[in-house]
Order: sequence, then C-alpha cells, then structure tokens
Amino acid sequence: MKEFRFRIILILGAVALSLYLLYPTYADSQNTITIQSQLERFRDSLQTANPNLSDDDLVRLVNLKEDEIYADKPDFRTAKEKRVKLGLDLQGGMYLVMEVNTAKLLEKLAKDPDQRFLELLGEAEQQAKIEEVNLVSILAEKLQQNNIRLSRYFGSIRQDDADIIDDLQEQESDAVTRAIEIIRNRVDQYGVSEPSIQKQGARRIIVELPGISKEEDAKRLLQGSALLEFKIVKESELTIQIMNSIDTKLAESLKSSTDTTLSDDTTSAEDMTQEEFAREHPFYAIAMINPQSPFADAFVRESDRPKLEAYLARPEIKNIIPDNVEFAFSAKPASVEGGENIFRLFLLNKKAELTGGVIVDAQSNIDPQTTAPIVNMQMNAEGAREWARITGANIQKRCAIVLDGVVYSAPTIQNKIPGGSSVIEGIGDLEEAKLLEIVLKAGALPAPVDIIEERTVGPSLGQDSISQGLNSLIIGFVIVAIFMIFYYVKAGTIADLALFFTVLFIMGILAGFNATLTLPGIAGIILTIGMAVDANVIIYERIREELATGKTVRAAIDSGYSNSYSAIFDSNITTFFTGVILYQFGSGPVQGFALTLMIGIACSLFAALVVTRIVFDLMAAKGMKVNLG
Amino acid sequence: MRIFENTNFDFLGKRKIAYIVSGVLLVFGLLSLLFKGIEFGIDFKGGTEIALEFEKPIEVGDARDYLGGLGLGNIEVKTFGGETGLLIRSELQEIPADLFPSVLERVETLISKNFPDLTYQITDTTSSSVTYSISDPLLVGPLTDKLTNSGFQAIRFNQEENNSKLIVRVGIADWIQENLLEYMPDNKFKVLKEDNVGPKVGGELKRDATIAVLLALVVMLIYLGFRFKFVFALGAVAALFHDVLITLGIFSILYNVIPGLNLEISVNVVAAFLTLVGYSINDTVIVFDRIRENIKIHKTAPLEDNINKAINKTIPRTIITSLTTLIVVAVLLFFGGEVLRGFAFTLFFGVVIGTYSSIFVASPFVLEYASKVKKNIQF
Repeated sequence: MKEFRFRIILILGAVALSLYLLYPTYADSQNTITIQSQLERFRDSLQTANPNLSDDDLVRLVNLKEDEIYADKPDFRTAKEKRVKLGLDLQGGMYLVMEVNTAKLLEKLAKDPDQRFLELLGEAEQQAKIEEVNLVSILAEKLQQNNIRLSRYFGSIRQDDADIIDDLQEQESDAVTRAIEIIRNRVDQYGVSEPSIQKQGARRIIVELPGISKEEDAKRLLQGSALLEFKIVKESELTIQIMNSIDTKLAESLKSSTDTTLSDDTTSAEDMTQEEFAREHPFYAIAMINPQSPFADAFVRESDRPKLEAYLARPEIKNIIPDNVEFAFSAKPASVEGGENIFRLFLLNKKAELTGGVIVDAQSNIDPQTTAPIVNMQMNAEGAREWARITGANIQKRCAIVLDGVVYSAPTIQNKIPGGSSVIEGIGDLEEAKLLEIVLKAGALPAPVDIIEERTVGPSLGQDSISQGLNSLIIGFVIVAIFMIFYYVKAGTIADLALFFTVLFIMGILAGFNATLTLPGIAGIILTIGMAVDANVIIYERIREELATGKTVRAAIDSGYSNSYSAIFDSNITTFFTGVILYQFGSGPVQGFALTLMIGIACSLFAALVVTRIVFDLMAAKGMKVNLG
Repeated sequence: MRIFENTNFDFLGKRKIAYIVSGVLLVFGLLSLLFKGIEFGIDFKGGTEIALEFEKPIEVGDARDYLGGLGLGNIEVKTFGGETGLLIRSELQEIPADLFPSVLERVETLISKNFPDLTYQITDTTSSSVTYSISDPLLVGPLTDKLTNSGFQAIRFNQEENNSKLIVRVGIADWIQENLLEYMPDNKFKVLKEDNVGPKVGGELKRDATIAVLLALVVMLIYLGFRFKFVFALGAVAALFHDVLITLGIFSILYNVIPGLNLEISVNVVAAFLTLVGYSINDTVIVFDRIRENIKIHKTAPLEDNINKAINKTIPRTIITSLTTLIVVAVLLFFGGEVLRGFAFTLFFGVVIGTYSSIFVASPFVLEYASKVKKNIQF
C-alpha cells in the first residue's frame, strides 16, 4: 500500500484544493440569492414609501443599498472576489475598443492651422485609414512634399523635423494615458464592479464594463471632456464643526431607526467598546481623523466608502451640510493598511475658483535644487489674472486640484502667484508628478477618442447563455458517462470518475487563477468532456490488446499504460499548441475557450494517468477483477 | 462490449476510392468558394449588428421590408432564437451622408417641439455625432434628458456650469431602434446584444485569424517533424489542409441552405477551425504512433502492411473517441444556443472529416511518398 500513498495524497490534495477554491463560488451564489431577496423587499418598501420616485433614482438607491450590504459583510465580499469570474458574454456588459483620434489631436496642437494644413491633414487621415502607417509620419511626409517645414505648425523654429515628429508621437501616447486616467477615474466613481481598462498598442484602449447594459450610461461615462477644477479646501475648524454635527445627527437617526441591528453580537470586550464607539459616533467610526495633523482631512477605508456615501446621501444629513461646501475623496489612496486602500476625504468649497480650460501646459520635472519632484503649470492671460487674485486671497490655504469630482492633489498656497506660471511642490514621487501633469493637461487638451469597436450583451442573453451552457454541460457529461459504462463496464465507471475529476479540476483552476469563464469557455469544457475520455480509451484498448496476448491483469495494465504514453503525449501536446496559438490570436471570449481547452488537456491527462491508474493498481493489488467489458 | 475487434480491413487498398471522395469534396468546395464565396460575419467585415427580443412574435418579412426602406443600404434581417427574436445587420458602421440631414431633422423637430423659443446652431459634426450649441445653458440638462428619452443618445459637452453645448450621437443601431419604436409602438423590445465593429478592426482580425491558422499548421509541421520522420509530418499537415479546405467548402456550399443555421465566419468559428486542426492532428498522431511502433517490431514487413495493421489496431479507439466528441458537439449544436451554433457546426463537421482524413489521407500520403521515392521509411 505504501507505494500508492504518495499518489493517493496527491489526488486527495488536488480534490480538496479544487473544492476549497470553488467554495467561494458556491457561497457567492447563495449570498446573491439572499441579497436579491433583501433588495427586492427594500425596493418594494421604497416604492410604497414614495410612489413617485423615478426609475433612475430607484435603481441608484437600490445599488447604494447593495453596496452597503457588501460593506457590512466582509465574508460576502471575499466570496464575491474569489468566485469564478464570468465573462461579459455571460453576465452581460460592454466591451469597447477606443482609439485616440490623432487627426483631431494634431488639429488642436497645430499653431494657427490654415486651409492648406487642414487639407493635407484630411488627405493624410484618409491614407492612414488604409495603410498601417502612423498618421504623424504620413502628415510629416505630406508637408515635406509641399516644402513646408513642420515647425511652421508644431514645436519651435529651432527644432528639426525629426525632433518634432518624436514630440508629436509622444503627445499621441500622452493622449492615450490621459484618456485612460479620465476613464478609470469615471469608472471608479460610477461604481462598475470589476472593470478592466487596458492600453493596447500605442493608441488603443480596451474597456470592459461588466453589468453595464444601459448604453447611454456607459457612453456618458466615456465621452465628453473631463472637468478640471481648482477648489479651496475648507479650514480645519469649520470642517471639524460640520463633521461633528453630522456625527451627532447620524447617531441620533441611526438609533431611532430599527435596521441598525445588522451586526452580530460579539464577545470580546475590546470589540464591545469598538462597537459602542461605532454606535455613539457612526461617522467618525468610518471617517477617521488624525488629531496630530494640522488638516482636518478624514481617512476612509475603501470598503467603508459606499457606507459613507450612503450616510452622506441621507436627506437629514444633506440638510445639515452647508450649501456652499461638498465632500470629495482623493483619487488615489493616501495609504495602504492591512492590504486595504485608505482614501482621504476633503471638505471643499463647492464653487470652483477656476476651471481647467485656462491651463496652457503642464510639465512634471525634478527640482534641480532639492531633487524633489515638481509640476510646472502655465496658464493663459485670463487665467493668470484670476490665479493671482485667488492665490493672493488664500495664502496658507490649500487649493485642491479636482478632476471629474475627485481630488488629485491639494498643495498649500505659499504666496501670491502673478504671471500664471506656478510650481506645484510637495509631491510624493515622480510617478505622482506625472499623474498630476496628465490631470492638469486633461483640462487643457482633452484626449479625442473614437469608439472603433463596441460589443454589448444584455443581461437576459447572458442569463440564457449560462443556462444553455450548463444544460449542455450536464447533458453532454451524462451521455458520455453512460456510453463509457455501457462500453467498458467497470473500467468505464473508473473513466467516468476521472472525467468528473477533470471537470472539477478545471473549475478549481479557473477559480484559483482568477480566470474568466466565457461562453466559449464553457464550450471548451464541454468539448473537453468529449475528448478527455480519449486518453482512457487509448489505454483501455491497449490493455485489452495486452490481455489478448495472454498477459496477467497486472502485467497487462502496466504495459497497457506504458505503451500508450507516447501516443497520448504527442496527440495532447499538438492540441495544446493550438490552444496556445488560439490564446494569442483571440480576444475575450475566444481566449476563454483557449484557456479552458488548455487547462482541460492538462487536467484530463492528470486524471487519466494518475487517477484511473491508482484505481487500477489498487484493484489489482487487492486481487479484484478488472472488467474492461 | 466491443466493436471492430480484431478487424483486418485493407484500408490502404481502398485508398483510390478515398481519393475520389476527397477529390470530389475538395473540387465542389473550391468551386463553391470561388463562385458562391464565403460569408464573413461582422467580426471580420465590420458593421453593425443588433439582436432584439420583442414582446410579441414578429413577422420577419415585414420587418425586413420596413427596415430595407430606411435608406441604410443592404440590411439583413433574420430570426434570432425563437420567433420573438430578431437579428438585424448592416454592413455600415455609420449613418450614410445622404441620410444624415433627415436624422438631424428629427433631432431638431424634437428640440423645437419641446423648447420652441430655443435657438441653436451646429458647432461640430462627425460621422456619428453632432454638437449643438444652444442659446440657454440652463436648458442643456433638460434638453439632453428629453432627447435621451426619445431614443437619441445625448450628452452634455462637459460638466462646466456655463456649458451651452450638447453632443447628440447617432449610430446605425440607434437609428434602427428609433425607427422600430415608431413602426411598432405596441410591440416593445429589449436589446439582447449590440455589436459595432469598425472596418479597421475587422481587417486586422482577418489577418490575425489567417496568421493563427497558418501558424498552427507550421507549428504542427515542426513538432511532428521532430517527433516523427518528416514525411509523416507532411502527411499530417496535408491531411489538415484537406480538413480545413473541405470544411470551409461546406461552409460555402451550405450557406443560406439550411434555415436557422447562420453559417458565416465569426471569431468563434475561427476558434473552431483551430480546434479542428488540433483534433484532427490528434487522431493522425495516434495512427502514426502505431505505425512507428509496428515498423520497429516488423522491420521486414512491407510498409503498406504495417500501416494497415496500425490503422486496424487503432480503429476502435478512433471510433470511440470520435463518437464521444461528436456526442458533446451535437449536444452543443442542439442545446448550446444561438451564439455557439456556428462553432458547434464547424466542429461537428470537422470531427467527422478529421477522423476520416487521419485514416484515408494522412497515412496514404506517407505510403505514396514512400513508393515514389522508393525508400524504406525508418525512424
């Protein structure tokens, strides 16, 4: 028995691991049922309470409630994070490929473009549609053919054409970065779960928005220029005052309402005090203030954000916040604690002092004297005048740089800045400086992006696909399993066991590696069921042959397996290669297919060569009859 | 239970018949490819495709006639799923220039109907959107809401307070939906899916797909060249070409012949073709592996006998695996839903043809080659 021990442990380990990895998926599906019924009740109660609530508001409130439930239950959240991810084609959503419109960008960058320039640009644009050459190079060539130097329209007179071409191409790539930053910012605020935003090549952006089916919403999210504003941060005293009154009011209204008994009772004394604190000071419990800091910024955990937003959206809280101020989060986490992002919460003047249209240029740099990262910012004449007045009136206050509603930086104004050229200091690192440069330019030079590919799958089609896929999986599995038992009797049962393990391992690996399951991916698993029996069939047929030559059962099994190895490996490796190529070629759903195909091959080999083998060996060792039909 | 136990069939002796069968299939397939051509889906051709689910059953013919008269050029209208589903496809990605004025007219009628005193002007137009600047910035919000509710997608130009511009987007899909709303106000629909693929993307995808299939063939050639004699690799890849071409031919021949089966080349179908390559080579390798083994054991026996013996020995496995694979593919074909139908169809045919070719094309190729060069094939 000892000789088998290692393999048995290996198999049991693999099964246990798969089950462990799949448990969150199961738990999440159970949680979803609970949450859906809760939300259903919540929606009904809302509708009975205020019958003329608009659909949009209803959806928004229900979504807030859903976020709140997840915020309250960390184990719901972890289950959701660790479940098998479903692709856009299964859960519904939007897939977009966007490309920076270089022609529009060049038009904006050009210094006093004349008719001739616009004509050439138009021609170059047409040409770029057909050829695989960059628009900047085509335009440069066209200008050269017409004996016009690039410096007539771009850059400075001292630069030669090659320099300018490099610059323009960098501007193009900058525009992509800018667009990505703006899109990411909006997607985060919009609360899309598990979005994916990627840069592809030099000019393209791929955006995946699961669960978004209202196209108008998605487009609103992506199009339109970004709004850059400069807003003064409220003084600490006033901020504390407002936060105090929110805290008191919130404690009051939470106590009076009945649904506060969400949290389970805990036993530890420390927890009790924490809970008590949370009851007395619901606001400060999630918006923590650093008493040592000169600023009254609050710090909020990422998981507490939805809760805080729900608190601030309450009508009675809205009432006590003065009309001329607003809360805004920092765009990037201020720190990371225990693996969780902590965001800064600012209280700002609602009215913007200045908007981004006045910015002419921004540049991140290293200060030669202090080697600290800085950002230089230039404003136009009108902006410079305003800026001098604003900075003069708010010395030693902080001025928040706000893009689309979130704060990117809040430097303190040291003195009055005339002339419109300012330096922003006190930036953490060069990366942060680069980000600020992008943000400042977003107001000045919106990145013109076109949607070149767009795929939307509605939630009902996704649901149909899931049920059709799962039905096919079960039907396919059952027919193949019955066929195998019919044909190979007892050995067929063993092959079916291997088949079951194969499917289990595939799902476990998908969950473990955070891979995405798509409809073609399910098709891949179904196909694997059909093809996975192959290794067993090869082996069984070989064992039959060996038995026919008069070998003992034990010997027949041994040589049956060893004679099959080369055929099994060669045939599976070639199929695996096609999987690799397919993965490289495909996008989204097809990659999902390639992935399950490859994982399926690996799993079915393991199941056929290890799982069925050990069963045979055990049976032979115990002297049981191996029945191959 | 056993099938084909100890068969001793002279497969290679019948190879002439197989040549005729393959030849006929290839010739008909190629002729059809040449004259009837092959239909590419919007993944490759670019265009707009929407699938709608109506509340009540819908007459495809009527919808086709109505949509055909919209001036959007050639519009394909098919059923999608059941009789309440409609698949509408246009090769266009954007509203044609001559139609644009009437779209604008509809937008402007809406503006003056809702806000009679408002003056507006167009500040920018692209092929899929138009930017209006209106006289009263305060009305930008209400106006975008009104337009959005009437089916147009309108957004504010930016979030600044004094913004007076709004962008109205008009795509093919929007225009079709907007008109269907008007045509059948009492049969509401919801959008099941909507795809819009630019021509550039389609072109790139076509190139990538061709490269992927060719690359797969080359990789097979190299790997098998390593593991077997080169002539075996050639035989296997010849069989693959045979499989891919015949399946493509069948796509061409059967296009628009079987109702309810949309046989056009989509990304999923290309994935199926690559899988078919993998599957067919799998079958071939198993036979070749046996030939290699037989040649080692029966060194003096003629190659033809060794090959025949190898095919006969592996035929139970070949049949059983093909059968189980066909079972699951058939399940996919019938129960897998509309989205996977083309994929499942390709594989169904591919598995049949791949199994056939590993016996009747790949092995005879090796034999013909060996007798032509009059050399003993060794490993």
